[in-house]
Amino acid sequence: MSPLSLNPAQLDVDRRGLLSCGFHCVLQMPTGSGKTWLAERAVDEVLARGGRALYLTPLRAQADELQERWLERFAAVPVGAYSGPRARAGTRTEVPYHRARVLIMTPERLDACTRWWRSHWSWLPEVELVVVDEFHLLADPSRGPRLEGTLGRLRRLNPLARVLALSATLGNREELADWLGGVEYSSDWRPIPLHWRTVRYRRAQDKPEVVSDVVRACVGGGGRSLVFVQSRRRAESLALHLAAAGLRARHHHAGLAGPVRRSVEQSFRSGALDVLVATATLEMGVNLPVRQVVLYDLQAFDGVDYRPLPVWSAWQRGGRAGRPGLDDRGEVVLLAPTWSREADRYLTPRFEPIRSALGQPAALAEQVVTEVATGLCRTEGQLTRALGDSLAAHQRRLPPIHGAVRTMLDAGMLAIREREDDRAPQLVATRLGRIAVRQMLAPETVLRLARSLEGPEAQHWTFFDLLLVACATPDAEPRLPVDFEELDELSLLLGRERSSLLTDLGRAEATLGCSGRPLLNLVKMAVCMRTWTRTGSVEEVAEETGAYPFEVQRLRESLERVLAAAQAIVAPVGEEAARPTLVVTDEPDLRERIKALSVMVEAGLDEEVVTLTLLPGIGPALARRLALVGLSDIEELAVAEPDDVAAIRGIAHGRAVSLVAAAEDLLPTRSAWCFKESGPTLRTTQGTWPPEVEPYRLFRAIELKVTKRGAAWLVTGGSDPHRVERTQAGLACDCPDHARGRTCKHLLAVRLADGDPRLQQLVDQLGHTATTGDLDLHALWLDLSRRASA
Amino acid sequence: MSPPTEIQTRRGVVPFPAYLPVTTFGKKYPLDDLVRPYLPRLAPAVMVSLHYARQMTMPPRIPLFIDSGGFAALFKGSRVEEQRGLGVLVVQPEKGEAETLTPSEVLDFQERHADVAFTLDFPVPPGTEPDEAERRLGLTVANALWAVRNRRRPDLRLYACVQAWDAESARRCARSYAGQGFDGVAIGGLVPRARDLDVVLEIVDAVRSELPDLPIHVFGLGNPTTVRALFERGVQSVDSSSYVKLAASGISWGREQVPRDLSPPERLRLALSNLAIASGATVGLGAQLWLGGAVRPSSPAGGG
Repeated sequence: MSPLSLNPAQLDVDRRGLLSCGFHCVLQMPTGSGKTWLAERAVDEVLARGGRALYLTPLRAQADELQERWLERFAAVPVGAYSGPRARAGTRTEVPYHRARVLIMTPERLDACTRWWRSHWSWLPEVELVVVDEFHLLADPSRGPRLEGTLGRLRRLNPLARVLALSATLGNREELADWLGGVEYSSDWRPIPLHWRTVRYRRAQDKPEVVSDVVRACVGGGGRSLVFVQSRRRAESLALHLAAAGLRARHHHAGLAGPVRRSVEQSFRSGALDVLVATATLEMGVNLPVRQVVLYDLQAFDGVDYRPLPVWSAWQRGGRAGRPGLDDRGEVVLLAPTWSREADRYLTPRFEPIRSALGQPAALAEQVVTEVATGLCRTEGQLTRALGDSLAAHQRRLPPIHGAVRTMLDAGMLAIREREDDRAPQLVATRLGRIAVRQMLAPETVLRLARSLEGPEAQHWTFFDLLLVACATPDAEPRLPVDFEELDELSLLLGRERSSLLTDLGRAEATLGCSGRPLLNLVKMAVCMRTWTRTGSVEEVAEETGAYPFEVQRLRESLERVLAAAQAIVAPVGEEAARPTLVVTDEPDLRERIKALSVMVEAGLDEEVVTLTLLPGIGPALARRLALVGLSDIEELAVAEPDDVAAIRGIAHGRAVSLVAAAEDLLPTRSAWCFKESGPTLRTTQGTWPPEVEPYRLFRAIELKVTKRGAAWLVTGGSDPHRVERTQAGLACDCPDHARGRTCKHLLAVRLADGDPRLQQLVDQLGHTATTGDLDLHALWLDLSRRASA
Repeated sequence: MSPPTEIQTRRGVVPFPAYLPVTTFGKKYPLDDLVRPYLPRLAPAVMVSLHYARQMTMPPRIPLFIDSGGFAALFKGSRVEEQRGLGVLVVQPEKGEAETLTPSEVLDFQERHADVAFTLDFPVPPGTEPDEAERRLGLTVANALWAVRNRRRPDLRLYACVQAWDAESARRCARSYAGQGFDGVAIGGLVPRARDLDVVLEIVDAVRSELPDLPIHVFGLGNPTTVRALFERGVQSVDSSSYVKLAASGISWGREQVPRDLSPPERLRLALSNLAIASGATVGLGAQLWLGGAVRPSSPAGGG
């Protein structure tokens, strides 16, 4: 692009020499104003000097998209894209790091590289430029601290690297530049200006119709719409509603499998769709031909509660409209109730400041253990200085390091090593600490696993129990919520599981560290993974459990690391490891079963097929192939004809002979059923409830907040604020549930707030519902035990 | 006649004046492994001693200067012998057989790996008996003349080494190299004499007066103050490992106070800071280096 074709913001950045000045730089420009082009320009300069450039993006999809584009853009040099914490075995198509001159990474991959920095020393020091896209990710409570820790390590390992931070929505750009020791630049120029407007509705139940009209007007004018909603279910139901209204509509959210999502995006790009209804997944990164963005919900679930959408998030979403080259107009429509002016604050780009989350005890503990285990820090002084350069420290949000070190010493993740010749003692990572760092897990995850697995009862745990324990760790994600309406289905699925842990609820709660609905979430996660080991099909798991395919995949990925840590925890150490292996004649012990479960989760194998992997040279992939031709366990393989085995693609005859012989040799100690579990399956009960009121609505009502507004009530704390009024027919709510003729939770909340004695009696009654000895899913969902004790 | 402003090598041009950081290969100095990848960004070329160059697995991306390893003549148990008119270094380790280093072995290795090579020389430490000093000077000159006649690779730049104890001996040594076809001349043995800068500069002047058109390299002097004086006196290049040795000991050329218990990345940062200060290399303004404060004049002089 010649200087003549630059837009005013790009020209300004170019004229100021910000890309080549040598300083770190924070660039804040609106979405769609050419930040990526500026980054490319900076990369050009680095490549011309013979250096390497690193581009960090939080989105895997964007990493892939960029690589595709940059293979052409930077055709003269190797371009590599690296996403996820590590390359997956068997799918290695990545350019080797040391060959790539442009490296596109997710923060998690760079985190791994800086943890194993010695293995990456052939290229890390040669990185001259680090572009950090979506810099506001630093404020994310989960990924932010890891990004901050990673950037800190990178900057200490490569003190000559320059950071170019990009974002459209920073509330404290100057502070961030000051932290980096660099300069900052901002512009609000956008090639296609966005027009923001508010469309009001009177009752929440009117929202779907209102949005239909808004979208239809846009489509009628030749544009396409992107509607942002707060939940996947709402995305699906609203897309159905819009489709019923005659619009070509689809939903898009993180629960969809990657190919499905890409196909939906492609349909939208090609013009086969008028409107997409999406969750936050499309908030950043992906470029689509959108003319109109509708912000349907101005509340978002933050994992605990529904809270107002941050202004930065609203503007990120709004910025998807009017992308250069894709549409020549752009508008953002806010949907807001007539009786509230809350939405007005979104009309001005006054973004929230980026606040570091590294000071959170769990996040700090992880970074402290990582620094020590990677050999980058050996003393408290070194840790204090290293983390003293963090954004958290810059913002005075970093607690004293001494406390975190003490906690990790007490927890057994760190130890003190005395040294000879009067030198000061050093901090070292213990075996548990090293396991946490190697698997990129929070210390808390490893500690929980260690505590759980060291008890004698662990020897009796089933695969399902082990999955529950793995799912209970902080690194198991995503958490799978359980709706009240799902309980019957979940009860059926649980009926085929064997569990020693869940037969004593109190013990299970103590072991898993949770109760009530969070425990139900774990149960659903474990059911999903156990179903995956039986079917090996993400789609079947999704079909059976109601989880989304993408959730199943992500859960599997995270459990692989958690189970790898569990394996390492129970692995023999010291003298035990050095002892010669005896002939095993007993049943598989905990260690063998965890190892088998790891393989089962990794490849979707059941407990019979997994016996094939006990043989040397048979990995999960080959076991799967053998099972597909009927050789589904070691006994089948032991009696197979080598010629038949050799007929499988990729197995030579000599290898087939040795595999069959190895299976025969193993049979005296391990049978095809060695991992098969016996004993009764889980029994569940549904409990009994008073018929007058839906119990889950009543419980939800308890959690809502009611504020009197004149003759009406404002009910908040749910997914949307609602208004309840007294009419001639009694209380009336503006929510869709009430419109369908039900006694909605908002109405119940108002009655409770008004001191309705009958309802109060029901609440008391619910709190004292007796349970049988079986697992009572309703009681769990309603968290009765906690409420009773409260 | 005046010396050139740069030297063209197989792996690129080295502009003068040049501060060449010394690096090592092998396990003896682990900090060197951390520092080495950064050298191309802070220096035009790098100096490696023959002993460590033999352990090199991956050469740096910038021109490589390889010295002869003759400084080992200073080690306990080493001796300089004359064989067929040339000087040979015999090093007797505490255990095992003696190892010899001949001009032929040195040149052969340099032909294969070096961009700029230095002839096998024998330092004359202060206090050396006059006869032994003259003998070492004579063998140093003989080795240099042998090397320039036996150089096979045309693009190997060959520097003749001067070993001297005063201006007069330096002049004599340098005179032997005039018109012999060397690409440069390197003055060794100055590290133990570095405290007396006047002596050092006199020796440099003497060499310059005899070889006005050759670039002069000075071995082992890396202290920023000394380096500045040498460059002002018309020296084209110096080399030193002080930047990294001092960093390993927690000493900064850039500011008075650095933390006492440095971590590995802090030592790296300190080494790069020292090098940037000594070499005057341009680094990005965002570089996380310890560059503040004045150069500390009392910092130990460089050792090579």
